[in-house]
Amino acid sequence: MPDPILSIRDLVVEFKTEDGVVHAVDGISYDVFPGETLGIVGESGSGKSVSTLSILGLIPQPPGRVASGTAMFKGKDLLKLKKRELRSFRGDEVAMIFQDPMTSLNPVLKIGFQLGEAIKTHYPKQPNAKVKERVIDLLRLVGVPNPDSRYDNYPHEFSGGMRQRAMIAMGIANSPSLLIADEPTTALDVTIQAQVLEVLKTVQQETNAATILITHDLGIVAELCDRVLVMYAGRIVESGDVHTIFQNPRHPYTIGLMDSLPKLTEDEEWLRPIPGQPPSLINRPPGCAFHPRCFLSQGRLRCREEVPSLRAVDGGRDHYAACHFAEELVGHHSKFSEPVAGGVA
Amino acid sequence: MLIFSTFLTFAFVSLAGDPRQNLLANPRFSQDSYDRLAHTYHLDASIPVRYWYWVQDVFTHKLGRSLLTSQAIWPDLTRVMGHTVQVIGLAEIIALVLGIAVGIFSAVKQYSIFDYLFTSVSFLGFAMPTFWLALLLQILFVDIYLKWNVRIFYTSGLNSGVASNTWSLDRLQHIALPVATLAIISFALYSRYMRAAMLDVISTDYIRTARAKGLPEWLVIMRHVFRNALIPIVTITALNLGGLLGGAIVTETVFSIDGMGFYFITKLGQLDVYAVMAYLAVTAAIIILFNLIADILYGYLDPRIRYD
Repeated sequence: MPDPILSIRDLVVEFKTEDGVVHAVDGISYDVFPGETLGIVGESGSGKSVSTLSILGLIPQPPGRVASGTAMFKGKDLLKLKKRELRSFRGDEVAMIFQDPMTSLNPVLKIGFQLGEAIKTHYPKQPNAKVKERVIDLLRLVGVPNPDSRYDNYPHEFSGGMRQRAMIAMGIANSPSLLIADEPTTALDVTIQAQVLEVLKTVQQETNAATILITHDLGIVAELCDRVLVMYAGRIVESGDVHTIFQNPRHPYTIGLMDSLPKLTEDEEWLRPIPGQPPSLINRPPGCAFHPRCFLSQGRLRCREEVPSLRAVDGGRDHYAACHFAEELVGHHSKFSEPVAGGVA
Repeated sequence: MLIFSTFLTFAFVSLAGDPRQNLLANPRFSQDSYDRLAHTYHLDASIPVRYWYWVQDVFTHKLGRSLLTSQAIWPDLTRVMGHTVQVIGLAEIIALVLGIAVGIFSAVKQYSIFDYLFTSVSFLGFAMPTFWLALLLQILFVDIYLKWNVRIFYTSGLNSGVASNTWSLDRLQHIALPVATLAIISFALYSRYMRAAMLDVISTDYIRTARAKGLPEWLVIMRHVFRNALIPIVTITALNLGGLLGGAIVTETVFSIDGMGFYFITKLGQLDVYAVMAYLAVTAAIIILFNLIADILYGYLDPRIRYD
């Protein structure tokens, strides 16, 4: 296996609030390898966005704070860089695509200018004509029709899907080696989602950038990702390649997530949600944070007292789960265990 | 709008009293000429009719003549307007420049000592009545003059020698204190609004996008935040112009400046209907004009607004 392009170790991110310290990310470690697509899934507040925003210094500080950890990118620890140095990575080597295209573009500046700005910031010596040419090429690549005239449009003259395409174009403007897409389709209609996913796929093939795809949509994960991290309450509860996770999940939370999805091939009266509420990140349940909602725990003492570590399980190659009783899940199939995970989306 | 409001004020000022009443105190003034006076100036007609005469005067005789002195109003009004424009214009520019600058810094360095300091200054400016601030400044500079015999700023009038309507050091020394009075109060308003507008914009998603591009922070602030934060300030500036003209009435009176406010309050005291109406009409026109300018500026600042 090649060297990882991004290697995060023991990252802890905290937010100070009036009610106490929120442990948004609590000691997570993961690697991203060149050219792969890593999916990070989890429900709202599980720390999936914060875990990536924080390594680029994009969480509001204060109240946010990276308490500890390292994030090695191309031999440098992003968390220890000076603001200036970190800035030279942002938007160039590491680019981000944000969730809501409606609010993520500046309403008073032209689309073309905002895209060109991403290039100009890192390559100020580029002549304007060349930047414009590149921007129009980018718009064409992401499937914006009439990119020449669209260049001079303002964001409000774009539809939601077009804006997200423009955001993607902005993300890949400097051919990053790592692209972080934070819920890129959440704010869009389903039909538009599919189109934007197609664009993302194209862009990945075109740039060959490693991609971190943050989402709560397992369908998108099945479609686009090579490997998956499942996060719960600021910790990684399971990781592995996408087939393993879908076929042989070894964490009750992952199974719960999949069971709560509808399946087209079966006639179901009710969905099966995970009981209970996500935990408070100020007073996290002791031991395994998932134990109050877990069908496997059932009041077992170990679940309440001991924080399970992420350990290799036998589900497949490089498959890790943070459950004391992961072995009991052998043979426990999720809804999507059978033949392929194709029908998910 | 303009017709309705002028008619209403015309009616109120006319009903407030009879401008001839002082004449009766003169024993040599006969009742006959008193009545004749009423007829000459249409004071015996009904209010709508008098209003109609006034409207004709406005268009044919440049706002007509004063009821008391029979002098043309327009030359007087242009003279005092020039003075007021000097004072208010200067105050507005100072207040806007300082207010916007302080607003930006307060927002960027939120909860810093700088921010707290200017928050306190602004609230002081809000709370201070105009006339009181004006008097405080007068006392301060009179005291400086009396103690050390240094004349930094004058506390009344527009010029020390012969009146001239041009810019000069002498003129600046005279209008410095009224300008400061008006500027401090407007500054309080602008800096608070600018700070709030900046903070609103700083927390938006598109500012995060700008930062994610790797833009240096000062460019994020000036190019992305500033322009969006300016939009609400344009509204406030247009609205505040009325406040400044109102504030000028007090300030000009305290500093004995021959400006519009002083003119208005004097003529109102004399119940000189036509002079008062001329002031109100011109003021209304100015405010409408500036609201129009504000609307045009919107379209320039915010491309989402289009006039078609």
